[in-house]
Amino acid sequence: MEDLNIPGGQSVPGIQADVARGILAMQGDSYPENPFELFNPVIRWVEDYIDHETRPLALELELLYLNTSSIRAMMEIFDMLEAAHRQGRTVGVNWYYDRNNERVAELAEEFKEDCTFPFAILARR
Amino acid sequence: MRRDHTDLETRIEALLRDPAYQEHPMREALESLWQYTMHQLTRLERVSHVSDEFQAMARQRELGLMERYDRQVNQMSRAARISDRYQRMLQDLNRTLREASYKDPLTGLFNRRLLMDRLKEESLRAERSGHGYVLGLLDLDYFKRINDGYGHDAGDRVLVEIAGVMRAAIREYDLCGRWGGEEFLLLLPETGHAEGHEVLGRVLAAIRNHEMHYGDQPLVVSASGGLAVYRSGESYAETLKRADRALYVAKRQGRDRIVGEDQLS
Repeated sequence: MEDLNIPGGQSVPGIQADVARGILAMQGDSYPENPFELFNPVIRWVEDYIDHETRPLALELELLYLNTSSIRAMMEIFDMLEAAHRQGRTVGVNWYYDRNNERVAELAEEFKEDCTFPFAILARR
Repeated sequence: MRRDHTDLETRIEALLRDPAYQEHPMREALESLWQYTMHQLTRLERVSHVSDEFQAMARQRELGLMERYDRQVNQMSRAARISDRYQRMLQDLNRTLREASYKDPLTGLFNRRLLMDRLKEESLRAERSGHGYVLGLLDLDYFKRINDGYGHDAGDRVLVEIAGVMRAAIREYDLCGRWGGEEFLLLLPETGHAEGHEVLGRVLAAIRNHEMHYGDQPLVVSASGGLAVYRSGESYAETLKRADRALYVAKRQGRDRIVGEDQLS
């Protein structure tokens, strides 16, 4: 398994997947021109990690704006975590937001709704 | 609920397989209906994957038809709901940014940048129509005493209140903004000298008559104003310069008054 390191841009979030540490981190806005190209490797990575590793997996998110395709990609990733959690795996999400933008916390709350694994929404600053 | 669905699926498949019903006239109708349902599901899955193919199809195939249906409908309605909320968040951010770009954050009046844009526009319009506009420059009298005597918070509160008073005293189509510090600019479109004098006089009276309090002490504020009318062919900077000179004269003559450019020597 390889690490992922996708540099962020104006419409693309920064994405780092670290196999050794068991961490997938994403930051920034996400309205990519080609969502499949961007998210497919990330979804594959999560799938592979869950299939081939036994260690915990933690998501560290600092996402701001997400377009519909990105929302669906995140829902898909959370679904995979949910399935892994139900099989007894240790998985968790930390979603950080700026205290000045409470709306981001409300949206993270929407994603959290159907998840039974640990999903923390944390204020920064 | 989900169990009922699974039962229904099993029952229909069993009925379709049962040789006893091979010749039954309703069998063909049921089979068509069943195929139609599956076709609809494929369409639904395709619609929800129009811009992406995130579903791991292998996992999907293990699920029953009805379960796939429920899952798709659930996912789509959730994604739509979350997406709507993101749109609203963006709209709110846009509005805040737009307001920040043309409003003075303290008083809510237009800021200097917007005033300069509007002065430019109004000058062009005056050139076309031949009707000038009145530019009024207002400055609060002895404002430094309020800041020094009661503190900057009190000074800020006075600015906010006076801004409200001025906004209420002007006409609907007049423009009022904060030019800087305790200085305000009034733009009265298609207005002549005499009429402008009247409007500005009304604004000054409203400020003078507005009672404020600091603790239990009454606070009374007045303002001085300079007035100039745009002249065809000039830039608004020249109009502004004359209004500024008139304001200086108003201050020197004892404050709490309007001085027009016609009173400049």
